[in-house]
Amino acid sequence: MGEMVLDITDLYVSVDETEIIKGLSLQIHIGEVHAIMGRNGSGKSTLANAIMGHPAYTITSGTVRFNGKSVEDMEVHERAKAGMFLSFQYPSSIPGVQVGTFLRKSVSTVRGDDAPSAREFRKELLSHMKSLNMDKSFLGRSVNDGFSGGEKKRLEILQMLLLNPCLALLDETDSGLDIDALKVVSDGINSISPAAGCLLITHYQRLLDHVVPNFVHVMIDGKIVKTGGPELALELESRGYDWIEA
Amino acid sequence: MIQYHEIAIPPRSEHLWRYTPWHRIHPTKVEEIPTSVPMNFSIGIDHEIESSEEIARNFIHNTSSVCKLVELDNESTELEIRCSGHVCSGELKIVSKGNSSLIIRISGEAGWSGLRIFGSITGTFSVAIINDLATDSHLLKCEDWLVDRDSELEYAGMSSGGFLNKSDIRINLNKQGASFRGGLASNGHGSRHDDNHVEISHDFSNTTSSLVIHSACDDSSHSVGTGLLTIVEDANGSDAGQVFRNLLLSEKSRAESIPELEVLADDVKAAHGAASAPVDVDQIHYLQSRGLSEGEASALIVEGFLMDAFKDIKNEDIVSVLRTRLLVHLECLIRG
Repeated sequence: MGEMVLDITDLYVSVDETEIIKGLSLQIHIGEVHAIMGRNGSGKSTLANAIMGHPAYTITSGTVRFNGKSVEDMEVHERAKAGMFLSFQYPSSIPGVQVGTFLRKSVSTVRGDDAPSAREFRKELLSHMKSLNMDKSFLGRSVNDGFSGGEKKRLEILQMLLLNPCLALLDETDSGLDIDALKVVSDGINSISPAAGCLLITHYQRLLDHVVPNFVHVMIDGKIVKTGGPELALELESRGYDWIEA
Repeated sequence: MIQYHEIAIPPRSEHLWRYTPWHRIHPTKVEEIPTSVPMNFSIGIDHEIESSEEIARNFIHNTSSVCKLVELDNESTELEIRCSGHVCSGELKIVSKGNSSLIIRISGEAGWSGLRIFGSITGTFSVAIINDLATDSHLLKCEDWLVDRDSELEYAGMSSGGFLNKSDIRINLNKQGASFRGGLASNGHGSRHDDNHVEISHDFSNTTSSLVIHSACDDSSHSVGTGLLTIVEDANGSDAGQVFRNLLLSEKSRAESIPELEVLADDVKAAHGAASAPVDVDQIHYLQSRGLSEGEASALIVEGFLMDAFKDIKNEDIVSVLRTRLLVHLECLIRG
């Protein structure tokens, strides 16, 4: 078992004074892939956003430790620099900011002294883009502006590959992807997972056909109510969630 | 031709003078025509253009002792305009044919500058006008563009310099098939006041125009964008659109955007819109999650917002110059 990268203990999270996460605990180690499944509104995205530090999500109780350090003391950009990455369900568009410029800036900031030279960066960038079947013309477009759902998700995975995180939170990265794109994106996730802890938030088994999780957690009403192996996702696919609540 | 003293001072009830009245942009007392230092034009030959009955144009004409002509025929070039002295003024005529482009940079430390531009376009012409004046300068700029049959004016304006600026830009789509595509970006900081008035007149059928004005307003700056889009009777088949967007970066900043339409033809498309909003917290969070501090994220959003005014500009050289100038300007602001 690798080192623990994320340690969540008895977490409570509120949005606009409404409690969404209600006593959730979870530990993720390097090299582990955890999948969280649950109905809409069960708190899956809230969990990812709270870990990343979105200002609208307030941790009211409990702790989130990232690489042994409480995230309470870390700004969002400090979490990113420390190796935390969130692939957003709905990535924001930044009109007028070219993808190429944005990626270079982000990589330089997050990787700091280990950031590649301009030449090495371009080589690395083009290699990852090729693996994700992304055209070079992406680089001249504005970040997520006018992108299709699939293009947005590919850009999220491209960023993940370039930033090389030790914790990847992937919030419904499979939504909006066709079968071919799902395979490409899954390959991207698989390529980082040996050296990182991954938390996949998903509704569907289909992503887990390509990215095999070590653990599958079922989230209902802000809590993890059941944990199992990959077979649990298959069971959910065939039986739904009612049997767990019963 | 009518003399300056014979022209009535325009009332603030007039659309054009609502937010920056004539007495505010006049360099001295409104009844005076002060002596001015001639602007320094890096290119152009001596020329003369007629006066005007419009007060600002007439005033600049009367104060100016220099007028240059720049003729372009399938060529691209740059023009530096240096402004110096207490009051500085000049006139410029541009005649463009074929596929040409021009980058105009206005710089210097004059207390007040008055610039009048008259452009005549046949073919495709791309122009960038960059206001890079010293931070305490005042600028009055009047532009008149005449776009000929099946010709196209591609216009990019970046207003980042000066303390008090008023631009009165008029585009006349003068023959069938004439088109205009324009973007204006204004960056407000400190107590800067930037007033851009754009009039587009569709005088013939099958003419098209699109205008985007983006203003980022920080500190206690004030941005004004007014537009008048006119489609005359019989100008059927015309297609026109105007969008004004303001990004409010502080509680004390202000932005006014007033696009107006006068459509007298039946078979046309005409649309306008205006919006003001603070920086989106989700955009900030997104960039922070990629390692940028809140300040870096906000600066990048402002840069993108201003550059987005030029997203329809096809001339890549012009867009590249604008991006470089904007980055230099924003870097200077950050470093104080």
